[in-house]
Amino acid sequence: MPTLGAGMPEHFSSPGRQPRWMWVLPLLLVFAVISLWQGLVSFKVVPTLVLPAPSAVWMDAKMLVLQGFQGQTLWSDMWISALRILSGFLAAVLIGAPLGLWMGTHRVVFKLVDPVLQFVRPVPPLAYIPLMVVWFGIGEMSKTMVILLGTIPVIMISALAGVRSTPRQRLQVAECLGATRFQLFRHVILPSALPEIFTGMRVGIGVAWTCLVAAEMIGAASGLGWLVQIAGQDIQVGVIFVGIAAIGVLGYLMELGIRLLERRVVPWRGHT
Amino acid sequence: MIELRQVAKCYHGQNGVTPALADVNLTVQDGEFVVVVGPSGCGKTTLLGLVAGFERPSAGMLTMDGQPILGPSHQRAVVFQQPTLYPWLTVRQNIGLGLKLRGTPGDRTRLAVDHYLEIMGLSGFGEHASYQLSGGMQQRVAIARALIVEPGVLLMDEPFGALDANTRGDMQRFLLDLWQRLRPTVLFITHDVEEAVLLGDRVLVMTDRPGRIGDEVAVPFARPRHWDLALTPEFLQLKRTVLSILRPDMFF
Ligand SMILES: Nc1ncnc2c1ncn2[C@@H]1O[C@H](COP(=O)(O)OP(=O)(O)OP(=O)(O)O)[C@@H](O)[C@H]1O
Ligand SMILES: [Mg+2]
Repeated sequence: MPTLGAGMPEHFSSPGRQPRWMWVLPLLLVFAVISLWQGLVSFKVVPTLVLPAPSAVWMDAKMLVLQGFQGQTLWSDMWISALRILSGFLAAVLIGAPLGLWMGTHRVVFKLVDPVLQFVRPVPPLAYIPLMVVWFGIGEMSKTMVILLGTIPVIMISALAGVRSTPRQRLQVAECLGATRFQLFRHVILPSALPEIFTGMRVGIGVAWTCLVAAEMIGAASGLGWLVQIAGQDIQVGVIFVGIAAIGVLGYLMELGIRLLERRVVPWRGHT
Repeated sequence: MIELRQVAKCYHGQNGVTPALADVNLTVQDGEFVVVVGPSGCGKTTLLGLVAGFERPSAGMLTMDGQPILGPSHQRAVVFQQPTLYPWLTVRQNIGLGLKLRGTPGDRTRLAVDHYLEIMGLSGFGEHASYQLSGGMQQRVAIARALIVEPGVLLMDEPFGALDANTRGDMQRFLLDLWQRLRPTVLFITHDVEEAVLLGDRVLVMTDRPGRIGDEVAVPFARPRHWDLALTPEFLQLKRTVLSILRPDMFF
């Protein structure tokens, strides 16, 4: 709605817009936490082996970026983890969403697939890891498969729910306009299901990270999960911190990416 | 011609069986404008849904031109009580959808939509998202979307109920004009007795649930009708007749 707010004072243009000074708040919190942390270390409340000083963690971060840890720089670990997530997650969306839509629109497919889905859904994805490692080794395939298996039920169920939640009158309007079965799907059911699919994707990206980090901890020679795992064995708490922060940053960026895509693809979200 | 023979409809829900319609007999001739009035919850929407083909009757027969009505058809356009626009389409795309679905060339659709935007008083809103319009404007879009395909049968469920008095008057006039030009068969539901008498050739008064068609009042006024018909004594007399059937408690 670019035109609606034109000419109005900035903070009036949308009801959700916060006052300007609000951005200070998260910085304030970060500052408070780091101060407390530095205090705990300076006054020797906890040993530095357990909790290194902020400055030490900063040094570790620099070391990770410039020299790397056990042969891998932080960038390469982030890069490989991101690639794994994207391949597994995209596969889950590209297979899961059409499958869910198909289930939602065809009874036979639903009856066929739903029992499998209901059986697979409660299994924690981490349980697949040993099997995937045995089948696909510790290469990229096993990570992709773990993420795919863990994420695909979420995506399928959201697509199915999206089809199911299509208001009846929306379908009836198109039927009266002479829509064929395919047109009904293309022009009514698919767009009605999209918001739900995006909700599923936002939940799914979190699940994908859980799967990936777990898979990298168990069988991998690279990636952020591997980094955190190796650092733990070496009792390098600073490196663990940096690894976790990197996971957080990447996860946040991906969530942000999905949200951006959502705003582009389903700008009508929430409107009837 | 639309015919209903001993049509009944029950809804089966968690709280038992709701008989919505019982023994409805109705014949609507081609080009006839039939209005149905009745108390809230008496089954008017149900009746319309059956004729549209959204629902199957629990008993009885519905036919159009001798063929049983088995499902929705593009020959019968429906305007619902709620606008039910597609929020992912602009106003223009919503109105033009019916033409697009049947493969009408883009420039023809564009012209037709422009025409309807104009009559519906929506010029300048074509590129808006549907949810950026007021409720009354949205309903006008829904009406335009149904009319643009020039259907032989128009099924309208309190289409003007959500409009303000002025716009409602405009829409009534517009519908009268449209009927004069295209002579569609219209089944029109309303709770507004004045609207019923102004628009219809016949007014059917439904009884309380389970609904049946209780009484029928013929409206003899000549067409083309104009809105000032509503100010004549004959009109008021007829309005009184319908009201006395619908709300006998108001007359003693
Ligand atoms: N899908 C449904 N399932 C169960 N019961 C229903 C359903 N639709 C309608 N009914 C019931 O059928 C009866 C008639 O409903 P209907 O919507 O046809 O009434 P109406 O005359 O259109 O009322 P209004 O003037 O308020 O729109 C009501 O008692 C309602 O509770
Ligand atoms: Mg109704």
